[in-house]
Amino acid sequence: MDAIEIQATELTPYIKLDKENGKFIIAQKSLPENAIEFYKPILEWLEEYSEDPNPETIVEFKMEYYNTSTAKQFARIFLLLEKMHLKKKSNVEIHWYYTADDLDMYHSGKRYEKLLKLPFKFFEV
Amino acid sequence: MIQKLKSIYKLFNLMNYDHLGYIYHGNFTDEITENILKLTEANLQNEENVGKIKKRIYSIMVEGLQNITRHQTKENNIVDDKFYYGIFVIQKIDDVYFITTGNPIKKSQIPPLKELLDKINSLSNDELKKYYKKILVEGEMSDKGGAGLGLVDMARKSKNKLYYKFHEIDDEHSFFYLHTVPVLKEETINEEKINNTINGIIVIHKLLNENNFILVFNGEFSKENSVNLLSAIKGHITTSASLKNKLFYVIVEMLQNIEKHGTKTVDNNANPGIFLIGEDSEHFYVMTGNFISKEESQQMKKRLEVVNSYTRDELEREYSEILFDFNVDDVRKTGLGFIDIRLKTDNKVEYWFENYNDNLEFLLLGAKIHKGNE
Repeated sequence: MDAIEIQATELTPYIKLDKENGKFIIAQKSLPENAIEFYKPILEWLEEYSEDPNPETIVEFKMEYYNTSTAKQFARIFLLLEKMHLKKKSNVEIHWYYTADDLDMYHSGKRYEKLLKLPFKFFEV
Repeated sequence: MIQKLKSIYKLFNLMNYDHLGYIYHGNFTDEITENILKLTEANLQNEENVGKIKKRIYSIMVEGLQNITRHQTKENNIVDDKFYYGIFVIQKIDDVYFITTGNPIKKSQIPPLKELLDKINSLSNDELKKYYKKILVEGEMSDKGGAGLGLVDMARKSKNKLYYKFHEIDDEHSFFYLHTVPVLKEETINEEKINNTINGIIVIHKLLNENNFILVFNGEFSKENSVNLLSAIKGHITTSASLKNKLFYVIVEMLQNIEKHGTKTVDNNANPGIFLIGEDSEHFYVMTGNFISKEESQQMKKRLEVVNSYTRDELEREYSEILFDFNVDDVRKTGLGFIDIRLKTDNKVEYWFENYNDNLEFLLLGAKIHKGNE
């Protein structure tokens, strides 16, 4: 399965999805006014990956900012990962990074954790 | 807050009347200067017929902005315990650009400044060149560092007179407005028009001072402009990192709301919307104004009323529900942005609708962020 690597822009995040090396990263800013289009290929990749995933999938969220439009697409990603996790296809873990001066980011991660049956780990950087 | 929102509508009309694009009103630092330059440069790039004059506009801006920074002192800016901010404005009327700076000075500084400006205005282009060299060689610099040189340079770059006006604040202080109008050749400029544009800015400046507005952007809310605005705002706001983050989230949601809805214009010349940041000792205010159809505004009013009536728990519940409800994928239709703003600010989203005509209303929205919020 081909890896995806997208460089960050002022409005869109850095993304790396690499099955072979077991790296799944979303980082920096995600502020597109319409996030649906941007996240479509990401969701498609994950969909395909979930058919034959690695035994362990650690997804790292290292966000600086994201808007509400992105928040919904993150929810889609999480639901996909949750399904994979609950069906025991792969041991999924979410690593949620935040900085000490941005507790809103921490709370946003906590909100997802509360709503999902997925293990979250929080890291202050 | 409602009072502030009402005055924004007044400001929007004044700005549109005077074709004002961008106003910065606040504390001036090198970082802010850099950001203002970046934002305006990006906007100039989108303009046609600016090529020849762009570099000159840019250097006039640099000198003007540095002039404000240089003269910003406690003695100059504090009048009766109130800090009077400097102002930077760029506007375009019939393909002519007007670059205006305004800053408070002590009245005692007026006579030498007036003398220098009148001297510069009496010189021809060649004489200005010589005068410039003379100052350089003789080191006729003021202790504030080459203020005279900056003014001469602005006159040379504008190929025009330096228009100016002093406007009294109190017995000891006045605002000094410098109005630079770069022309291609030595054209005759309508002096009455110039007088009107300066006076327009004086009225607007007064409004900004009364309402503590620090940044105003009136223009097209394209994706590109939003990106530039966001990076400019980051430089404008000097506060703790956590407050800056919170403010940034709110600004993004407010800007995107206007980007989505603020597409209607009344005529081709008018801007579709306005974006402002205000600040007082306790709060930051993020405010937007844009035209909206009556049909949309009815829905938005209802939505705002509901969102404003929620308790914190209800907001959390509603947020989570919308987050995982994919029947409506387009978040702008869900009001998720408003809920997010309420959660982040712990305040209501204030709003005001001004009737424009049979089909359109002007929608004003305001979010208030407490500075002590953690």
